Amino acid sequence: MTPALARAATDVDTICGVRPRLAVEPRTVADAAADLEALAKDRLAIAFVGGGTDLELGAAPARLDAVVHTRHLSRVREYAPSDQIVAVEAGMTLAALQQHLAPHGQRLALDAPAAAQATVGGIVAANAFGPRRTRYGSVRDLVIGMTIVRADGVVARGGGKVVKNVAGFDLPRLLCGSLGTLGLIAEVTFRLHPLPERSATFLVGPLAAPEVASLTRATLDARLEPVAVTARAERDRLRLAIRLEGFAPGVRDQGDRLAALAGSAACELLEAQDEARLWDDWERAAIEGTVRAKATFAPAELPSVLEALRALAATLRDGELVVHPALGIARVAGDLQSAGDTARAVEAARRTVSPAGGALVLTAAPGGLRAVADVWGAAPRSIEIMRRLKRELDPENRLAPGRFVGGI
Amino acid sequence: MPVAAGFPPDVAARLAAVVGAAHVVGDPADLVVYECDGLTHGRTTPGLVVLPGSADEVSQVLRIARESGIPIVPRGSGTGLSGGARPVPGCILVALSRMRRVLEIDLANGWIRVEPGVFNLDVTRTVAGDGFYYAPDPSSQSVCSIGGNLAENSGGAHCLKYGFTVNHVLAARVVLSDGSVVDVGGPALDPPGYDLLAALVGSEGMLGIATEVTLRVLRKPETTRTFLATFPSCDEAGAAVSGIIAAGILPAAIEMMDRLAIEAARAATGLDWPDVGALLLMDADGPRAEVEHVSSRAIEIARAAGALEIRVPKDDAERLLMWKGRKAAFAAVGHLSPNYLVEDGVIPRSEIARVLREIGALTQAAGLRVANVFHAGDGNLHPLVLYDARIPGQEERAAAVGGEILRICIRSGGSITGEHGVGAEKAAYMAEQFGEADLETMQRVRRAFDEAGIMNPGKVFPTPRLCGEKPGPYVPHPVEVAGLAERW
Repeated sequence: MTPALARAATDVDTICGVRPRLAVEPRTVADAAADLEALAKDRLAIAFVGGGTDLELGAAPARLDAVVHTRHLSRVREYAPSDQIVAVEAGMTLAALQQHLAPHGQRLALDAPAAAQATVGGIVAANAFGPRRTRYGSVRDLVIGMTIVRADGVVARGGGKVVKNVAGFDLPRLLCGSLGTLGLIAEVTFRLHPLPERSATFLVGPLAAPEVASLTRATLDARLEPVAVTARAERDRLRLAIRLEGFAPGVRDQGDRLAALAGSAACELLEAQDEARLWDDWERAAIEGTVRAKATFAPAELPSVLEALRALAATLRDGELVVHPALGIARVAGDLQSAGDTARAVEAARRTVSPAGGALVLTAAPGGLRAVADVWGAAPRSIEIMRRLKRELDPENRLAPGRFVGGI
Repeated sequence: MPVAAGFPPDVAARLAAVVGAAHVVGDPADLVVYECDGLTHGRTTPGLVVLPGSADEVSQVLRIARESGIPIVPRGSGTGLSGGARPVPGCILVALSRMRRVLEIDLANGWIRVEPGVFNLDVTRTVAGDGFYYAPDPSSQSVCSIGGNLAENSGGAHCLKYGFTVNHVLAARVVLSDGSVVDVGGPALDPPGYDLLAALVGSEGMLGIATEVTLRVLRKPETTRTFLATFPSCDEAGAAVSGIIAAGILPAAIEMMDRLAIEAARAATGLDWPDVGALLLMDADGPRAEVEHVSSRAIEIARAAGALEIRVPKDDAERLLMWKGRKAAFAAVGHLSPNYLVEDGVIPRSEIARVLREIGALTQAAGLRVANVFHAGDGNLHPLVLYDARIPGQEERAAAVGGEILRICIRSGGSITGEHGVGAEKAAYMAEQFGEADLETMQRVRRAFDEAGIMNPGKVFPTPRLCGEKPGPYVPHPVEVAGLAERW
């Protein structure tokens, strides 16, 4: 039984090169549940689409009959400024949410890229993040409750609307990064943070990779509390941006101390529009291009990891490398030139990061590269339990089959 | 080797062969110690207790249990307050207290890998010399174990700023009920795949037994500023908390006590705290200039909200004394009443004053008294309901009040537990906080890890048997009586 409001799919409904037959656009969570139940009756394979900014993430689905768009699920369900929590439907964009919160002096402390298009549900499903993760953690550190619609159309909730809550298994965190393979993330409740009184970014460099590592370390050893520490490769060097937020006296004092730590290195303090422009530029650098990769690594290995990632970036046209040294996460982005060269550089980078527990995932890749490179890399050691989890929550294997790690 | 009646001797012999006879407890007289955890009512004698010394031994024990169809109950230090480590009849209780090694320290990458029996505070002690610490600080931290913290997703006073155990566990080696050993997470962030750690942390021993845990350790904050503010009543104190949060301040901790709790703390510690309606204790920490600014702003806000007096400790010793008074409040209630029960509920922060009035009226109507000690910053209440078990009917009335408090929390949009866990004690209330579909979905997660359903049965999920159970009286845990830890 096909959902009442289904339309024929078009090119825009394509996921990793696979085009479905149908598209549905539910207007409420109840509609979404009814749609999923109807799709379940026909045993159709489905995938969920938010703003479409991370649709290239994952392997191409083995089957795809229908896509479910969340764009009309875009309401704020509950906002309690004095409790610093907000519950929103999955299809609301991050920018719209931040605009809703800003008049109350609050924000979701999550600066995932492409905020004007990226939706809350998509961000949670893709575990998207931005530079402020250094201070505020990732999606899983900010999500406190979730409503999901299971493959069978059943609506289930986990967590709640209070930050401190240990009742029941943690479904909300488990769904973070699950890429729509365990259920539709329909509504999410977040904890919020105050907007800072003052923000300033300290831009240092150009620096060599070991200098980036040592200045990052010195900043943390001085027990400053930057909200972001991010470096961008420029030719054979890097520029390091350290963002400070808080009350004016605190930001001023931390800035002075950073200047002292930077010593003789060239540095400038950016505020207001100059600061915003820098971070916008760097965000674009990390996500623009037909090929995108995310590498995670032990922070102490930064210099050798940067060398391997620089080699990967060099295989791309306009290859960019942006790294968060305190977190141990880097992004490479650019346009594909030679699939063979890039695939080899991906493998070399994996050999560099994996001994210390890191990984490299191709978060976007054209078909030519997908043909010669595995986007996920080696399956994790806990893959069996992941398969069992998938079977329990999606027993008919209809939610984006084959898109996730290890062919899940 | 003596074995309790009813426990199969052949299984006992096989288990002894795995862990060594010296590490098996079967004598009924010795099993008494393991009849309960920190929730000391509702005791059940386990069939046998084994104390494995390695992941391999845990794996073999679980395999034997599965083959024999005998349920497993894991136990750390036994300080939990929800009966999460309460045995079920005839079970094999797996105590992890022998696994107490620190396995690896990597401060360049900010982590430490330990066995599950390591005490929470010992993690901090191990790295303190290098200026690091482990952030989650449950009040039993001097004796509670990391494995238990993982099972319960333990918090503490400072989780307002720093988060809970789940925000600080990077990886774990876990033995599942079929004996398989699984490594989840990784020292690097975002290992590809499902976030299995998210499921494991806080799963109350129902998904597996952690035999190694990798924890994030942080650099100790540069500066900590503390102040204590007194108020005529909880209304003004609650307004001060709201004002501080509304000013964009994120305190490291902000704690509140009401008149009766203050009286108890004074009686127990001899502190010169005044006889007032409410008291706030706030920590701000971080870089020096930021903290100085935040602390003085918060003091201004407390004054404007009607603070009677502000006290700023002149040195670290005086600061610790203030915190000691706060920590003592819990056990100190024993000075005011022969019996009391402890609740652990969460409400939206802005509802504090209203909910406290509701709890007060409820308790008064039952002819009882209630002392309130709580983490005001995140709305985590710990009402202590005072009663005298010698007076007929009082214990039942106290239990009924305890249950009603949990319902108030649920109605306010909160939770039946902020940090103690659901365990055996609150399983019946899960059906009031969650719907059937919610619980059934959680059960699916459980089946993925433990298809046989032998891991810590009877916890978290409501069963018809549990629906009649009521919260029980608080009895101090032996470690508390011995002065090793305070709890609330």
